[in-house]
Amino acid sequence: MASIKEIRTHIKSVEQTLKITNAMFLISSSNLQKARKQLTDVEPYFQKISTTISDILHHSPEINHKFFDKRTHIPPEKRKIGYIVITGDKGLAGAYNHNILKLAEQKLSQSANASLFVVGQVGRSYFMEHGMPIDGEFLYTAQNPNVGRARDMAETMLDLFQREQLDEVYVLFTRMVNSFQMEPTVHKLLPLDPDAFPQEEEITSYNRDVTYVPSVKAVMDRLVPGYVKGDLFGALVQSYCSEQNARMTAMKSSSDNARDMLQTLNLSYNRARQTAITQEITEVVGGAQAAL
Amino acid sequence: MAEANTFYLEIITPERQFYIGPAEALIFPAVDGQMGVYVGHAPTVTAIEPGELRYKVDGVWEPAAVGAGFAEIKPDYVILLVGFAEHPEEIDRKRAEAAKLRAEERLRQKQSIQEYYHSKAALARAMARLKTGR
Repeated sequence: MASIKEIRTHIKSVEQTLKITNAMFLISSSNLQKARKQLTDVEPYFQKISTTISDILHHSPEINHKFFDKRTHIPPEKRKIGYIVITGDKGLAGAYNHNILKLAEQKLSQSANASLFVVGQVGRSYFMEHGMPIDGEFLYTAQNPNVGRARDMAETMLDLFQREQLDEVYVLFTRMVNSFQMEPTVHKLLPLDPDAFPQEEEITSYNRDVTYVPSVKAVMDRLVPGYVKGDLFGALVQSYCSEQNARMTAMKSSSDNARDMLQTLNLSYNRARQTAITQEITEVVGGAQAAL
Repeated sequence: MAEANTFYLEIITPERQFYIGPAEALIFPAVDGQMGVYVGHAPTVTAIEPGELRYKVDGVWEPAAVGAGFAEIKPDYVILLVGFAEHPEEIDRKRAEAAKLRAEERLRQKQSIQEYYHSKAALARAMARLKTGR
């Protein structure tokens, strides 16, 4: 059995850790509430923008626009593919960062000509440690997603795509299915693919061709950046929400573990103390008897 | 649809759902000038510039400031997806004026193309707010 002093130090260190995990639990649960609100606010926009784009795409078959160009003349092994990987800025969030990085690794191993654009400090240091080159200029934090950051990211991606530095752009983020289930997801950002949008059942009699004012090109020039921006913003919000949720769950279970541990430690501490007292009494009594 | 002379209008921003409900008419700033919509409009897709928007509900015109975005128009349904949308009473004139000055100041300085576009967009947003807030 460990000595009383050892047990006491152990109890102290567990108490310290419990304080930290408990504080992190409280912080992430308050952050989660904020993030949830943002998620519920952004979700209608996110959904509407994809249904609208899908609607437009399915009603105007002959769109010849640079953002829809799949560049089929480039063979698969030469295609330059960009991956935006959204991770957290901090660890201690359970399997959240691990899962998304695993997915990123898997995607990277499949493509020869891939560039990485990483959001969040955890992902950045992970890829740097593993000697994978990441874009140094692409410095965005995962905290408190806002539209301005999504716009900057979207502009960078659209610019690289137009200059043919990238032929395809994917975003890897964690989708929040519900509060217990989060799944890492791959989403194709560019080029826009009409087949990627599900064809909806026609409810209205709206079947005629759509007019574009002033022209298809002018509309698409504005619509596509807006869509990419909205898409990225949605991905950022989803990821942030998932991160806070993962951290909250992880910290809750570690706080619970710490409490369990404290209980058993206290028990063995008391036992050890009692043993020590009993032993002392036995020694005193023994000494007194010997002196008689 | 409640009545024959109204269409269903949705104005949605990333932050909130600004307006969802029936409207009799709508005027919004398109790329090449103001565009008006009544019920039964031909199916159209167009882009929206930052500016002042007005929609008519129960015979009353409601103004609002909107940011860049796009609109999808169907005969009985109009959806506007914009960067921001604000009622006149929500607009902070002082803030908008400060933003306008800041953007103008930046535009006078030498900057990259991208920065130039950002400043231009910031200026357009500030102007849209000021115009509606009057």
